[in-house]
Amino acid sequence: MPAIRNQVRELRAARNITQQELADQVGVTRQTVIAIEQDKYSPSLETAFKVALVLGVSLEQCFQYDPKGKR
Amino acid sequence: MASLSYREKTLYASLVIELVVYLPYFFLHGQNSVGKVAGMIAAIILLQILAQGVIAAVTGNRITDERDRLIELRGYRVGYFTFASLMALGLAALWFHASVLHNMNMEHHNLGLHFLSVFFGMLVIADITRTVAQLIAYRRAL
Repeated sequence: MPAIRNQVRELRAARNITQQELADQVGVTRQTVIAIEQDKYSPSLETAFKVALVLGVSLEQCFQYDPKGKR
Repeated sequence: MASLSYREKTLYASLVIELVVYLPYFFLHGQNSVGKVAGMIAAIILLQILAQGVIAAVTGNRITDERDRLIELRGYRVGYFTFASLMALGLAALWFHASVLHNMNMEHHNLGLHFLSVFFGMLVIADITRTVAQLIAYRRAL
């Protein structure tokens, strides 16, 4: 399991936001949103805050840190 | 191509151009000349400008983000490591030929061009490695 996991896919689907719309609002590429959702990329703190802000949740609801996870 | 980001498209174009222009260089190694190397560099620059222009024109969303920059840095790190390793290997081979085998004919008239060719070849391999490393990073976890 990765050290930083997220619920971006679930939160985005619940709000009927497409990956492209989320990417545009956060200011990243759609490929980066895909990588975040697949736990292939841990975003910077600034991007993580922006994602949480766009999805209307707190950072902790969106991203979780597992100290035993693989970095 | 639609699922690729702008940076990925430019990287694939760069890789194709590098392979198309540089591969003959390796296969025609014995017939290299300064003019051929200069022509190759000019061809690379012109083709890159053309390809990047076409990609920029057909790609609507040209934004790059933090992940692109991280992947670029990773590519440069791999490319630098490749170049440094090849340089170390090349110098070791040179030392081996000159000191151990004693068959280094420094008077050979093509020696300068030979060294230039080998050095250019190392740069080419490092550049291709850098591009491939970035493309792999886009497909795998970062």
